[in-house]
Amino acid sequence: MTRSAHASGPAPPGGAGSLPPPRRSLTDRQVAVLFLVPFALVSLVFVIYPALEAVRLAFHTKLPFRQTFTWVGLDNFRYVLADSVFWAAAQQAVVWTGASIALQTALGVALALLLNEAVRGINLFRGLLLFPYMVPTVVIALIWRWMFNPEQGIVNAGLKGAGLLRTDIYWFSDPTWAMVSTILLNVWKFTPFVVICVLARLQAIPLEIDEAARVDGAGPWQRFWHVTLPQLKTVLAVVVVFRTIWTFNKFEEIYLLTRGGPGTSTFNLAVYAFEQATANLKLGVAAATGVLMLLFLFASSAFYLRLVRQEEA
Amino acid sequence: MTEDTRMSYRPTRRRFLASAAAGAAVLSAPAILRAQGKTGTVRVWGEPGPYGGVAVEGMNEWASKNAPGLKFAIETIPWSDVYAKLMTDLAAGRPAHCISVESPIAFQLMAEGLLEPVDDLVDRIGRGRMIPGAKWEYWGAWKGKQYVIPAHHQSHLLVVRTDVLQDAGVTKSPAEWNWHDQLAAARAIKAKGKVFGMCIALGRTIATDYYVMGLLHSAGGRMFDAANKSQVVFDSPAAVETFEYIQELFPTMPPGAVGYTFLDVVDSMAKGQSGMVFYWGRVFGRAAEVDPNVFAKIEAYQHAAHPKTGKRLNWNDFQGWCIPKDNNPYVAEVKQALVHVQSSRDWQIKYAHSLVPNVSPVFQDVAQDPRLTQHPFFQTKRRTIFEYYVEALKHASNSGNELLQGISPLAGIAHGRAIVAQGVQRMLIDKQSPKDAVKWTHQQLESVRREHIRLVL
Repeated sequence: MTRSAHASGPAPPGGAGSLPPPRRSLTDRQVAVLFLVPFALVSLVFVIYPALEAVRLAFHTKLPFRQTFTWVGLDNFRYVLADSVFWAAAQQAVVWTGASIALQTALGVALALLLNEAVRGINLFRGLLLFPYMVPTVVIALIWRWMFNPEQGIVNAGLKGAGLLRTDIYWFSDPTWAMVSTILLNVWKFTPFVVICVLARLQAIPLEIDEAARVDGAGPWQRFWHVTLPQLKTVLAVVVVFRTIWTFNKFEEIYLLTRGGPGTSTFNLAVYAFEQATANLKLGVAAATGVLMLLFLFASSAFYLRLVRQEEA
Repeated sequence: MTEDTRMSYRPTRRRFLASAAAGAAVLSAPAILRAQGKTGTVRVWGEPGPYGGVAVEGMNEWASKNAPGLKFAIETIPWSDVYAKLMTDLAAGRPAHCISVESPIAFQLMAEGLLEPVDDLVDRIGRGRMIPGAKWEYWGAWKGKQYVIPAHHQSHLLVVRTDVLQDAGVTKSPAEWNWHDQLAAARAIKAKGKVFGMCIALGRTIATDYYVMGLLHSAGGRMFDAANKSQVVFDSPAAVETFEYIQELFPTMPPGAVGYTFLDVVDSMAKGQSGMVFYWGRVFGRAAEVDPNVFAKIEAYQHAAHPKTGKRLNWNDFQGWCIPKDNNPYVAEVKQALVHVQSSRDWQIKYAHSLVPNVSPVFQDVAQDPRLTQHPFFQTKRRTIFEYYVEALKHASNSGNELLQGISPLAGIAHGRAIVAQGVQRMLIDKQSPKDAVKWTHQQLESVRREHIRLVL
């Protein structure tokens, strides 16, 4: 096709020996935009549109059986903010998120430091570390329910066997222990994410810095505190922000493990929103809860990143 | 067709009659022919017991003869999730085509206008077949129309381990107990230190609501006044007394009971963890599977009488079949299949046999059919079975039709939110006083009424 078009067209200027006209190529920026288009489309349909729809719903009451959709202004927000269960859930969400992130970060950094050592067979351990991250949450939750079963579970049996426990702990029946068990599950599952991120950064730190500190007489703790940790600050900032957002929004781990109980003692805001939407069919209230979660996360992430930046400056 | 054959065709009497018969058949059975034309899967929702599956087998028998392109398929929903699943699927406009559900939830659905009336089926199934002590409206009638076809009735009763009672030195028969005797027995069993005295579900689930309501009704309390536009009447001395009684019983229960739902209670008895439970007949089948020694020693009794009222009321599901009317292309077929199954004594006996004594027959001819007692459980548990089948009806109640004095469609909504369970948990977990927990529960019920007042006005 091209050939025949050229054949029938006018002769190129400059005669037979001249170079063909340069092919028009896309700029790097255009290529980048092109590659981003599928992602942008998917985001638009599956992320942005539902999010905007949820914001719209937060200002309406929807009676699903009657197909009514009524503007109620801020009523849904007033309802949520006046609900003591919402505030309890918010408080529990902060505890669950805060404790989970603190433990994940501490354990993640410690494990990454260990896995950064040049020991034979270390790659096997690095591979195994991914296991909790790969197993579906529903499987983990079911296994944990068995492990924490007060009469037959391995946790109580192990603690009793080690002489640390006399009477059974009813993990999911006591508000404190139920919260502890959900935090432990989250820590177990997501610490590998922290390890991977930190380990990648550790392997990029020039060895000379550590060696220079060693030559200057710095001990292991001083080297970690004054040399390694500052190098990790950027990656930790990102990890903490992402893990905070994901953990704060987590629904399935809590719901599958405790269903928010006993009582509402392990409700977080995601479980609260779910309950409002499914058990109470208050779709507008659930959407308002989601909007409040979004605002809270946005504000706290911005605050945290600002703090990190100030410290770096 | 050749010229010769055309020429040889002559209208004979036989040909005329054959053509007329075929024409009459086509004209007289348009519904069947229409059904034969439909294809697809008719989704039937049921509880996780085997009985839903048996009914669906019967429906498929009808389909194989009358609508070969249709297949009825059972979808079982865990008991504790029934409400959320029902509501979200109905809200999303994709309900199952036929639903088996307990009456308080059915009452809500029919009042919402979501169900197809089934008055046309009642006479075909047999209006006069109902067992003594029961009425069609117990399963679901609203403003003069029937919306639910009775499937079975099932009450929770007091189930005891006779050997455990004996071991604890309890000599008075549970048939004669009042609440004080029951509490004393639970304490005596617990004091022995081998098993827990009592187990009921106290988790944040619909199961807990059903347990508490049985006690509340015996104490003379109610949630709603059906005769007075479902006014909330929960906050009462009877409710406080009920909560206090649960508080007293709680130390005799497994500590995990505050998270328990239906099946936890079944297992608590079947696996020998507890000496007494409140439960439906399913616990017997489960015990027979899990531990024949436990099965041999368990018996059911009517609930202990309230010391003042003398009432021994239970919670009876009055479980029935209903048909969502919107987005349901198979209404006609479901109706015909239901008539087939509910009219057939064979299928009704198979249905009852699928889980003895959980699924109590609702038709007199079925209850009197000698084949009904040809189930092995009748050899060892005959007395218990009749406690469920016959005696329980005399003490039947549930929150949708409290004390069988009138239907309130708000009860299903209250149970969907496990409001009573949350009230009890406030007392047991958050250590509120019974009085305060009752007040909180009352406020939540008021809120349900306010939100759904359209259903009762």
